[in-house]
Amino acid sequence: MDAYRRIQTGKTGDVHLVVFKDKKILDDTTLDEIKKEIAALLGKATGPDVLLDFCNVEFMSSAMLGLLGQLHRKISAGHGRLKMCNIRPEIFQVFKLTSLDKLFSIHKDAPTALATFT
Amino acid sequence: MAGVNVLIAEDSRIQAKILQKRLTDAGHTVRWAENGADALKLAREQRPDIIISDIEMPVMTGYEFCKAVKTDPALQGVPLILMSTLSDPIDIIRGLDAGADNYVTKPYDPDYLLGRMQSLLATPLGDPAEEATLEVAVAGQKFRVQAGRQQVLNLLVSTFENAVAKNQELIAANEDLSLARDKLQQSNSELSALNDKISTINARMVRDLEAAAKVQRSLLPPDDAALPAASVAWRYVPCQDLAGDFLNFFPLDAEHAGLFVVDVSGHGVPSSLMAVTVGRFLSPKVTDQSLLVRQRPDGSVAVATPAEVATQLNRLFQADEFSGLYFTILYGVLHVPTGRLEYASGGHPALLHVPASGPPAYHGAEGFPIGFVPDVEYAQASLQLAPGDRIYLYSDGVTEAMDKEQTPLGEEALVNCLSASRGRPLDETVAGLLATVEQWCQPNGPLDDVSILGLEWRPERQ
Repeated sequence: MDAYRRIQTGKTGDVHLVVFKDKKILDDTTLDEIKKEIAALLGKATGPDVLLDFCNVEFMSSAMLGLLGQLHRKISAGHGRLKMCNIRPEIFQVFKLTSLDKLFSIHKDAPTALATFT
Repeated sequence: MAGVNVLIAEDSRIQAKILQKRLTDAGHTVRWAENGADALKLAREQRPDIIISDIEMPVMTGYEFCKAVKTDPALQGVPLILMSTLSDPIDIIRGLDAGADNYVTKPYDPDYLLGRMQSLLATPLGDPAEEATLEVAVAGQKFRVQAGRQQVLNLLVSTFENAVAKNQELIAANEDLSLARDKLQQSNSELSALNDKISTINARMVRDLEAAAKVQRSLLPPDDAALPAASVAWRYVPCQDLAGDFLNFFPLDAEHAGLFVVDVSGHGVPSSLMAVTVGRFLSPKVTDQSLLVRQRPDGSVAVATPAEVATQLNRLFQADEFSGLYFTILYGVLHVPTGRLEYASGGHPALLHVPASGPPAYHGAEGFPIGFVPDVEYAQASLQLAPGDRIYLYSDGVTEAMDKEQTPLGEEALVNCLSASRGRPLDETVAGLLATVEQWCQPNGPLDDVSILGLEWRPERQ
């Protein structure tokens, strides 16, 4: 049984894998829950390596970018690495529009992304 | 009561077992038959002291069984209790006619049944010879029944007792009901008090929201806002009372005009508070806070470049200090005499340039949203306008407006809409774009704030 409602979690080596379950990440409640669940998953780990998998996500509000930004700053501050994968073209557009495709480390799929952690 | 010999006629095995156990416990000897015919057989084999019979049974009903007992000279002296639901007055007549000595209503209380048995056994039955023919009218029907006085009296008393018991139950039920009603009334008045409280709080919140919305409107251009050598048109539709979007334009000094669209992430109170805070720094007046203009030591006004403004904003508004809120901005400074537009973008959608002649084109500048990455320098881009050229700044509520199938309106649609309307006055083109967005979002309407700011450069002829 999965402990989380919004995310599916796993671990490959030292990399925490987070798969968003939602098709749509639009409202504040969903966003808040995702935020809390990721915080609970990472706990007090300093500088963890994290891979976010967007394979299920079809729609995403720009507020989600804020969450990703927070996560990025927090993980980078501890010298961890945050990477993302399986981002649909429509959603990639949101990253591109805000130039965030240049800030975040974005990969085609999970194996490709995982290979870059070594 | 000494142990007596009881005969039960009852077709329900479970009912019979329960009754049998109760009677055996009370010291009686019990025999059981599951219909009237079998019971009659048992009674004839050995005369019981008392008979308890159900009414609804296969083969031989309780009434038939009772009649058979009461017409059998060897058995007619045995008291017989019918277990009836007594749901109809005619049941009593039927019982009388069958010669029953007593009634117990189902479902019965075992102690009550034992009490009945005791009183029946203590009262000798009348002599059947005393039997007389009685005529009664019930429910518009006349019945002739043969019954002894003692039998009538017993039935009358049992019926009356039953009525009294039912009445007591009714009174108790009434009391419960009355208690429940009082409780309900109390709950109702508590609810109503709570409702009043909510109404009061709600009214206060509405007032607060209105006040906040008013403050927020102060971030928008005043009605008489105008620029030299340019016409400007804008539309602004917040999706809630309070928005994260705002836009403005104004002269910065004799030769420069500033214009921007800001989009704070999220909606509602937190975003709008942030918008108001950001707005203070985007003032054309020389103040301590304004990032757009500052006073030189000689008293003249220095206009900050768009890149400087974006870089400063990013320094001031790091998202982690604003509970994760960030914003995007497109800020442009137009050099009014030459039509040269300098601009910077903090993660904001590109501006659309619709030239007086030639195809429209998007122009963006690289830059992360404000607050995302600490200590970055923002880039600046420039665009040379020709007389009659138009530029449109907008928030992503325009391009990302979703239709029923969650398809965004898209950048292409924006180009098509504004190319099609390029011959119309500027204000009509902006109004037309808003109408396109609203049409696209039918029937639910936009889910994000929609801001559109259009500018047409119209230099005076030299």
